[in-house]
Formats: sequence, C-alpha cells, structure tokens
Amino acid sequence: MWEAIIVQPMTNLLLFIYDLLGNGPHMFGLAIILFTVLIKAVTWPLNAAQVKGAQAMQELQNDKDWQEIQKKYAKDREKLAQEQMRIYKEKGINPFASCLPTLVQFPIIIGLYQSIIRALSATPLDMLKLARTVYPFQNVENIIPLNSKFLWMDLGQPEPYYILAIIVAVSTWIQSKLTMPTSSNPNDQSAQMSRMMSIYMPLLLGWFALTFPSGISVYFIISNVLGVVQYAATGRANWSNVFSFGSKPQQQQPSQKKKK
Amino acid sequence: MKTKRLILISLFALGAILLSACSGAAFSNNWPGLAADEERVYVTSGSFVYAVEVQTGRQIWRFPADSDNKLLFYANPVLTEDGQLLIGSAGQNHTLFSLDPETGREKWSLQNGAKNVWMAPPLVFNEVIYAPNTDGFLYILDMRGREIADPIELGGALWSQPVTDGTSIYVTSLDHHLHIINPSTRKTLPPVNLGGAVPGSPAIGDGGVYVGSFASNIYFITPRGESKVVASADNWIWGTPALDGDILYYADLEGIVYSLDLTSGRQNWDRQKPDGPVVANPLVTDDRIYVVTEAGGIFVLDRDGKIIWDRNPGGNIYTTPVIAGDLILVAPYQADFAIAAYDEAGRQAWTFTPGK
Repeated sequence: MWEAIIVQPMTNLLLFIYDLLGNGPHMFGLAIILFTVLIKAVTWPLNAAQVKGAQAMQELQNDKDWQEIQKKYAKDREKLAQEQMRIYKEKGINPFASCLPTLVQFPIIIGLYQSIIRALSATPLDMLKLARTVYPFQNVENIIPLNSKFLWMDLGQPEPYYILAIIVAVSTWIQSKLTMPTSSNPNDQSAQMSRMMSIYMPLLLGWFALTFPSGISVYFIISNVLGVVQYAATGRANWSNVFSFGSKPQQQQPSQKKKK
Repeated sequence: MKTKRLILISLFALGAILLSACSGAAFSNNWPGLAADEERVYVTSGSFVYAVEVQTGRQIWRFPADSDNKLLFYANPVLTEDGQLLIGSAGQNHTLFSLDPETGREKWSLQNGAKNVWMAPPLVFNEVIYAPNTDGFLYILDMRGREIADPIELGGALWSQPVTDGTSIYVTSLDHHLHIINPSTRKTLPPVNLGGAVPGSPAIGDGGVYVGSFASNIYFITPRGESKVVASADNWIWGTPALDGDILYYADLEGIVYSLDLTSGRQNWDRQKPDGPVVANPLVTDDRIYVVTEAGGIFVLDRDGKIIWDRNPGGNIYTTPVIAGDLILVAPYQADFAIAAYDEAGRQAWTFTPGK
C-alpha cells in the first residue's frame, strides 16, 4: 500500500524528471529540486489554509468573547476548553489547520528518503527493487545507474561537512520565525505553539540533515525557501521576528494588519 | 495546550523514529556470497564470513570472531591457489581481507585503500590481485595485499568479478561498459558500450567474451573491443551467461531461461520459465543446468530444458549455487538458514544456520 501509493510514484517521478534533464552529473540534485517545486505546488492549497488558519487564530486573540472566556474560566480548564471549542465552531476555525501542512511533510519526507535510496541503488538488492518499481512506460535502461553527484555531495550519503545541516536548520528557523503569529497576549496559544515549533523544527530537521542522505537536505532547503517566498507573497511575512533574537515576537503593525 | 504540545512532540518523535528505522539502509542489506572447495564451503552472512564442512554442514570458523558493525560481506569469497580466501567489506569499513581458509585467521588486510565499498570478488591472475571497487577503480595488489600499481579508473560502480582469457582482463561496470585491460601494460582499450548497466561478469568464449546487460541483450566482444549482439531477452539480464561448448545458457529478470545455439544463432528451447526472476548465473555441470530463482526455486534441467527435479528451500535465491563434491549448495536470502545442500537426486543433505 505504502509502496504503491507513495514510494513507487515518487521514485518514478524522480526518474522521469532526471531523464528529462538529461541524466548527467548534478542532474539528480536538480531533479530533487524540481520534485520539491512540484510538491510545493501540489500542497499550495494546504499551505494557504495554514496561513489562513494561523491568521484566524491570531485574530481570535483580540476577540472580545474569546478574551472574556479566558478570564471567566481561567481556573476551570475543562469548561474553558468547551467554550473555546464553541467559539471555534461558531467562527468556523480549525485550530489544527495550521499544523496540517507540517504533518503532511512526514510521509513526503519518509517517501522521498526511500525513493532516493531506491533510485540511487547502492546495493544489488536495491537495484533489483528499482527494477520492480519503475512503471512499464519508463525507459530507464539508459539512465540507470543514476549519477548521485550534486555539487560537492553524494546525494545518497549524508553531507560530510555539516554545511547542509546548518543551512537546513537556519532556513527552517527563518521560515518558522517569519510565519510566527504576532501577539502581545501572553496566553495566545497559537503564538506559543509557533514559538515552540520555531525551536523544535530547526533542531529536528537539522538532525535529519546530519543523519540522512543529502538529497533529503536539498528537499528541506528548497522547501523552506519556497515556503518563505510563498508566505512573503501574501504580504504577511514578519521580517522583524527574524531579527528579534530571544525576545518576544514583535506585534504586527496596523498597516500590515490592514492587508489581510 | 499541554495536550496539543504533547501530540505535536509525539508526532515529531514518531517521524524521527520512522526515519531512523530506515537509516543506514544504503548498505544494510543484500544477498549472501558463496564459494566452496572440496572440504569447505564459505558463506557470507551480514557482518560475518563462515566456513562450513562440506560433508556435514558443521561450522568450522567464523570471521570476525566478534561482531563488528562496520563490516558487511556481500561478495563471493575468492579462493587463491596459494591458500588465501579474499573477501572485501561492503560496510562502513572498506577493507579487503585475506583470510586463512583453514582457520579463518586474517593474513593481511587492505585498509583505506578504496574510497567505497567492495561488492565484487577480486580476480587473481599471474599472482596479481585485480580488485574492483564501487568507487570505479580497479585496484592492483600483490599476493600480500600491497598496491603494486596505481589503481585503474574505469568509471561507474564495479559490482562484478573481472575475468581473463589469459591475455586480457575484462571488467564490466554499471556505467554500461565493458572495459578491456592489458595486464602487462595496464592500459585499457576504449570501453565497449553495452546499452545498459552490467552487474554480471562476462563468460569467456572462443575468441571473445559473452556478456548480458540491462539492455536485455547478449553481446559478443572480441579482445580488440569489437562487439555484436548475438541474442536478446525479454527483460534485464543480470547474471553471467554459462557457456557449454556451442551452447550459451542465460536467464533474465522475467524468469526465462534461454539456451542459445551459437552455431546457428537459434534458441534450443521455447521459453523455459521456472517460477520467478533469475538473478544468479546458470550453473552447468556435465549434462545438467542448475537455475535458481528469486522465488526460492532450485531447478535442475537437462539439455532439452526438461526439469529433472526442483526444490524450494525457502527465502529468495539470488546467489549462484556452487558444486562441492557430490553436493549442490545454495545460499538463500531471508531464509531460516544460510546454506542448503542437496545431493544429485535432490535430497536435502543438510542445512547450515549461523550460531549467534
């Protein structure tokens, strides 16, 4: 099931793009970059929903009803949760909508990892699996084995100089800082969640980049850059957060708010 | 809020664990290597090489004695005339070992010589070791493991054992080429394009070699590098063809076994298809052809392609079987045992399961 739905299509797509590019040196890296662009295009609506959801959550912090129930049920967690759910329902807000694109990344990352290993076929057994994976219409005899070199890296191996791991961690941090909701309310849950994500995600993805084939790191970096571009294109990017090291996020300026 | 945080952290942890489970897969798995002499059969299994008595299936030694997770052995071990057993590691430790076949003790090792892992067995010719590596270089060593010449850069990953006709050395590569080397001058002829990756060795024939590739063709190549297609297959050809007089036996990943009459250029059989894809080389002895399949089948055919007997010991068989004494030995992958031995009538003589 996983193989047929995730690994096989991903591997074939990578092989198809690689073949299209001319299957020379560095082309598998370019194939991963184009693959990432395609994935970003496909998940664009999800990411747009994330931006919208985060915005809605942020606006909620200034809502009178919301602030009232925070005060009223400050000591009754259960009742507070019930009331919060009621308001979410009334306003048509899904509090988990902002997490969804992040969670969707995991099957993509795992599938991409398996596809890269499969496509690069480091062992005869991997090569045999690849022979089974390719769709009949793909004429891969000419392109197998794939050239795993990209710039100074072997895309099937972890990058040895930690350069990619640093870029992955920094770009993830910048992306999460840019998309962090701005709020002066200390009880703002979505802001707290985002702050937490801006710490965990760079560390986690940085560790992935250290441990896993560098092809995955290329995916992370391009994905982050495109994420930043996409968010900046909405006019909501909060660049001041990026430069506010350690301090609480800056509140959005009224002029920025008007843009929504 | 706490619940949300817990869920999120748990999901990250789960993702990390899932990915960690895949970590290192690049070199974590492959089928075993197998070799035998009259007394002992040698099989690789993960990070160990085992020597087993041919007659009883009893373990004689294991190398290394203690587990070393930087070692992995996939290639067929190679026995030399001067009493060495050569085997390279496909693990993080790229070492080529020479072992004493009687005791399993290390005689010498080539460490840090190659940039990548050893998937292919070396060739020993005129007391020189020609060791192909997945870094694309052919390493040239004396019988004590000292490099006696600069390695020859051939390109592509080298997965198959070089062969020689006594004059030239032939090395196939995943870069789609057959490389022909003059062992005296160590010069190479222009590589011969075979239209696809070549994971198998060539078979030495009269006036040239026969080799199959992922282009699903069998090529005949002269020592001067002239090539022609002599036959085709329905799918990728992985293993080395087996030449017996004027007949060339080969098989493909479609699971079809072919018997090509080289004189007439015609197939002797009409699509003999056992029970699954064939990766291993066909093995020809006297009047029998042994074919093993990914589905775990062992098929013994006569020259007309009729099945004399067949067995299925379990697992997948990718490793070419070997004959030792009166026994045929197979090394399945992912079976309950590492070796199964059969007599001429197909009766199982013994199985060998490595101890822990």
